Order: sequence, then structure tokens, then C-alpha cells
Amino acid sequence: MYLEVKLELIFLLPIFLPFLSAFFLFLNKKLFNELITNFFTLNSALLSFAIAAYSFTALALDKFKPVNVELFQWISNPDITIGFTLDGLSGIMLILVTGLSFVIQLFSTSYMEKDENYCNYFVYFNFFVFSMLLLVMSSNFLVMFFGWELVGLSSYLLISFWSKKPAAAKAGNKAFVINRVGDFGFLIGLMIILDTFNTFDFYKILQNTSGIAESTITAISLFLLLGAFGKSAQFPLFSWLPDAMEGPTPASALIHAATMVTAGVFMLVRISPILQHSKIASLLIIIFGLITALLAAFSAINQFDIKKVLAYSTISQLGFMFIAIGAGAYVAAIFHLVTHAFFKALLFLGAGAVIHSMHHEQDIRKMGGLRKKMPITASMMGIGTLAISGIPPLAGFWSKDEILASVFVNGGIYYFFWALSLGAAFLTAFYMGRHWLLIFEKDNGFEHSDVAEAPKAMTRPLLLLGVFSIFIGFINTPFFHGLEKVLHVTLENVEVTHLPKGITLVVLAVLSIGAGFTGLIIAFLLFGMELHKRIDLKKFKLESPINLIKNLSTNVLYLNKFGNLFFVSGMKNLSRKVAVVVDGMLIDGSVNFVSTTFNKSSKITSTTQTGLVRNYVVYFGLFLLLLIALFIFTPLVPT
Amino acid sequence: MIQRNEIVVLEVTTDWYLTLAAILFSIGFLGMMIRKNALIMFMCIELMLNAVNLTFISASKHFGQVDGQVFVFFVLVVAAAEVVVGLAIIVSIFKKQSSASVDVLNVSRG
Repeated sequence: MYLEVKLELIFLLPIFLPFLSAFFLFLNKKLFNELITNFFTLNSALLSFAIAAYSFTALALDKFKPVNVELFQWISNPDITIGFTLDGLSGIMLILVTGLSFVIQLFSTSYMEKDENYCNYFVYFNFFVFSMLLLVMSSNFLVMFFGWELVGLSSYLLISFWSKKPAAAKAGNKAFVINRVGDFGFLIGLMIILDTFNTFDFYKILQNTSGIAESTITAISLFLLLGAFGKSAQFPLFSWLPDAMEGPTPASALIHAATMVTAGVFMLVRISPILQHSKIASLLIIIFGLITALLAAFSAINQFDIKKVLAYSTISQLGFMFIAIGAGAYVAAIFHLVTHAFFKALLFLGAGAVIHSMHHEQDIRKMGGLRKKMPITASMMGIGTLAISGIPPLAGFWSKDEILASVFVNGGIYYFFWALSLGAAFLTAFYMGRHWLLIFEKDNGFEHSDVAEAPKAMTRPLLLLGVFSIFIGFINTPFFHGLEKVLHVTLENVEVTHLPKGITLVVLAVLSIGAGFTGLIIAFLLFGMELHKRIDLKKFKLESPINLIKNLSTNVLYLNKFGNLFFVSGMKNLSRKVAVVVDGMLIDGSVNFVSTTFNKSSKITSTTQTGLVRNYVVYFGLFLLLLIALFIFTPLVPT
Repeated sequence: MIQRNEIVVLEVTTDWYLTLAAILFSIGFLGMMIRKNALIMFMCIELMLNAVNLTFISASKHFGQVDGQVFVFFVLVVAAAEVVVGLAIIVSIFKKQSSASVDVLNVSRG
């Protein structure tokens, strides 16, 4: 009892501490230099991580019994209460977000050094952390929606942080607009939820799903799914994420790789008691997840921007998480979310260190051979690459293998889905291998005499994340179901797909390791040994197909161009026509007609107002005569 | 014996009074329309008011009720008040343009 009361009070602190420090820094941004800013933001981040860790430990000691805090009831009927909850799921996210926020802020202090808006960056950053925690810690859909919108806002602010670059400003707008499509779906989903359940509270809703018609469940799931697609950059709504790389790299690491983009996955796991009743939604999730995973992995093959490769990789890994949710493996989805957060943050921060040392050069064709200059960054990014490729015993292997095995275990058409996911895993290993080799190994003929290892404030976070990328996978292995225990209360009424037993699991694991190794080896043969230069491509008639693949990959299957042509230009043309016809002719025309009519008629009547008293007397007389005539000719009404 | 004709007494009926009132009102109105001098116009207004008063009284006599006579007192009071204001206006007009003509005053033309 003592513990609970204390926990209720204390776990709100990490949520509002970042908000306070954002507000405080915002007030004093003219006053503070970089050192004072660092002092406040790092200490507040560390403090909120410490409290988060304490809360999580206390929660673990209490066997992950959810702790609810109701701040106040806003509306009594329908029941809308502003409140927060700490359970296994939100506890994991709490500790993940605060922990990564501290590490990445530490990195940022060096990366953003001497930026003219240094303090502003940390204002936005802390504001993002606050919004993200609002999203994950809420006990109801409404507060979650607030967080959902606020992370969109802070993401916009950070993407277009260097708003003097036109590309950055444009990318921020694009992210905002595409997210709006998703948010629209989310909002409609919320309206249906309120109409059906008469409350927004997660636990009240998720325990009462049995009596609801399946069509309603499906409608809710599909609309919320649209929101998740927007926020997590899934297939139709993914093109904002690669553009979002215009923002500062550490911000990309936290927002567009580790935390915010996983909000969709988090939300779908949160509503898994609803989701499991809708077969259509689950099937759609896995199909779109597969399309995304494959498409993004394919697009990453021939990108040359160091951050764009990682962006497409993020989209592809998010696709894996959606595949897991579609296959009913909610624990695996959260597991991959956690491991991905660590190794993707590591990769992004490594990329940031490279960009910093290369004096803001982002083209990997101009890098190459950096391993000797930057040994720590190279080895840490190597760990990240191995982890994401699914090489045991690093983190990515455990989570990705669990997803693949869970898909396989469903049987039927899921065998086909499994094969495709395996293909995506292979592509992941291939493009990540290429990425690392092009940056650190291959000699591109550029002299990098002035390139040196990144400063310690950058390499230390890298080392820390590197350690985590190796070991974080052990929280949930086939031998030790740690994460499953954490989530067991949250997913109490949910049918979670379990891993296959015995020899099947081993075979599946071997196959997924094989896919990862094959990808890496092919990447090594092509970009490390440069095998393709030794073979005469023309002899095998391979040149044109390879060029076709390269073109398709660079242009993301021309989907962006199609989208521009179809949606952007189409909309522009349509709106131009609407502007001419509806606005110009209909609205302006009617308004002008009314005004000119009044103008003309008033000109006529105003001539009668001569200003001469005697004329008015004449009018008066005329109307008097009229009145008399009226009296005379009005027939008497018999009483 | 010469019979003397019966003396026909011309009885003054209510119609006479009403006709007189109508004539007075018309004179007043005509004066309003054709005269330029503000003072004359003012007198015309008074004429019209008194024509109305006459109508009230004759109607009161005709129907044997005092309501109309009561109204006349009201009209007289209002007319007195109006004379005060109206004469003040006329004096100020006169001061401004040294004539009492109203045709010059057309600043409120539309």
C-alpha cells in the first residue's frame, strides 16, 4: 500500500519534468549560454530517467499491477477523465523514452555546438519528450490523442529546425500534412469509440469488447490503423520520413527512429484486445506491414545519403513490427520496438558522428575508408549493423527471429508472409552491410586528412548504446520470457501468438540467421571485394536489369513522383479550378451582385433626399393623402 | 293675416367645424409648401396644429365626451414646448445667414 501511494505520486514526475525544463529554457533562452543550458537539460533528463527507473522497479516488485492516477474528471457523461497509467507497456516506453532522451541529449550537446539556436533545440527536444510521455503514459484515448498531436508538432519543429534551408522547411510541412491524413483517421476512430463505449478509458474499453458488434470493432480498428500508418510511416503514408532527415541528426535518432515513429505500434498493442477480434484489420496490418518492409528495404539499396538509408531502414523495421502485430505477436512487436530503438539510435548517432567529422557531408560516395580515422564510431556502427541484420547474439536477432517465427506459426497463407518477411530480413542485412562498407571500408578515392574521431561527448553515448545493442536482446529469449512477464497484465485478455516449440524454432532461427548472413556476405562481395567489377556483366546480360533495379530503388519505385503527380498536382489543378468557378464566379459573383444592387438602388433613392425642408413637406403631404385615401377606401369591418 | 314665413335657423353642425378645420389645415399645409421664410412656415405649423385642435373639440362635442378636449390640452402643451425649441432654431438660422430662408439649408442633401 505504501509503495502504491508513493508510486502514484512519483511516476507523474518524469512526464512533467521535461515540460518544465522546456518551459524554463524557453523563458531563459536569451539568457543562457550553452553550458548552463546543458546543465539544466541534462540534469532534468537524468533525473526523469532515474525516477522512471525507480517507478519501473517498484512496478516490477508489484508484479506489474497497473497503477492508475486520475487527475480530474473533465466530463461525467460521457466519462472523460484526464488520467495516467503505469503498467508494463507504458513502463517500458517510459524507461525507453527517458533513457534514450538522456543519452541523445548528451550526444546533442556536442553535435549542436555553436548552433545559433542552441537553446531552442533543447526546448523543442524536451517538449518532444514531454509529448511522447503524455502519449505513452495516458490512461485514456483523449490524453493519448493530445500527446499524439503534440509529438507531431514537436517533430515538425525539429524537422524544420534549420528553417533557413528551404528543404528543411518543406520537409517539415510534408511531415505535418501527411501526418494529418493519419490523425484524421485516428480522430474518427476516437469518435466511434466514444459513441460505442461512452468512455475513453483504456481499461474500461478493453474489458468490455465482447458485447460489441464485429463491424463496429472493425471500423474502430481500421480508423485507428490509419492513424498508426501515418505516425509510423507505413506504406501509403511513409514518404514523409525520409524527408524528415533534414532535421538535426540526434533529433532524427530520437524522434524519427527510436520513439515517435513507434507510437503507432505502441497504440496498436494498446488496443490489442479490440484488434484481436477483427480478422480484417489484422490481415490488413500484416499485408501493409509486409509491403512497407519490402518496399522500404528495396528503396534503401541504392540510396546515397547516409541518413536516408537509415530512414528507409527505419520504415522497413517498423514494417516488421506491424507484421508482428498482424500475426498476433504483440510481445514480439514491443520487443522489436525496444531493440530497434537501441540499435537504430546507435546507427543514427553514429551517422551523426560521421556527419560531424565530415563537416556536414552526407553523401556516402564521398566517404569511404573512414574506419581507420574513426575507429570507435566504425566499430559501434558495425555493432549496430550486425544487430539490425539479425546476427546472434545481438539484439536484433532475438526480436526479428521471434517475429518471423510468430508469423510462421500461424500457418496457411502466413507461410507465404513468412517467406516475404524473410526476404525483407535478407534485404535489410544487404543494405546495412553496403551502408557500413561504403562509409568505413571502401576506398572511394577521397582524401580525408582532416577527418578525426568524434569528440568524447559523442563517442560515449555510442559506446553505451553499443553495449545495449548487444545485450538488450536477452530480455526476451526463447529461454527467458522476460518481456512477456512484463506485459502479461496489459495483454491479459489478449490471445498472443506464441513461439513454436522444439525443432521448428531452431530451423526457423537458422533460416533467419542464414538470411542475415547471406545479405551481409553479398554486400561484402559487392562492396567490399567489388566483385561486380571483376565479372564482365555484359556477358551475362545483367547490366540493364541491375540498372533498372538501381533506378527503381533510388526513386522508391517512383511512388513519390506518382504521389506528386496524382495527389499534389491533381489537387493543385482541382483547387485552381475550384478557385475560379466556386470562389471567383459563385461566391465573389453573388457578393458583388448584392453590393452593386444596393449601390445602384441607393443612388436612385438618395436623389430624393434633397436637404430642402419644403420638399420633405411635399413628401409628407403625399403620404398624408395616401393615408387618407386608405381610410376612405378601406371597407368598414362589421363589428 | 300675413303669415310670416318660418325663420329657417341655420344650424351650425359638426360638419361645419370639420370643414373649417380641413380648410385651415390645408392653408397651413400649402403655406408650408410654398413659403420660404422659416418664421412663416412656423406659423403655418401652428395653424395646422390648431386645425387639429378644432377637429378634436368638435368631435368631443359631437360625441358628448371629454376625451378630445383633454387631448387638446396636451397638444397645446406640446405646441408651446415646440415653439420654444423652434424659435431658438430660427434665431440661430437667422444669426448664421442673416435671412430666415430655409432653401439655403440643404447640407443634408443625399
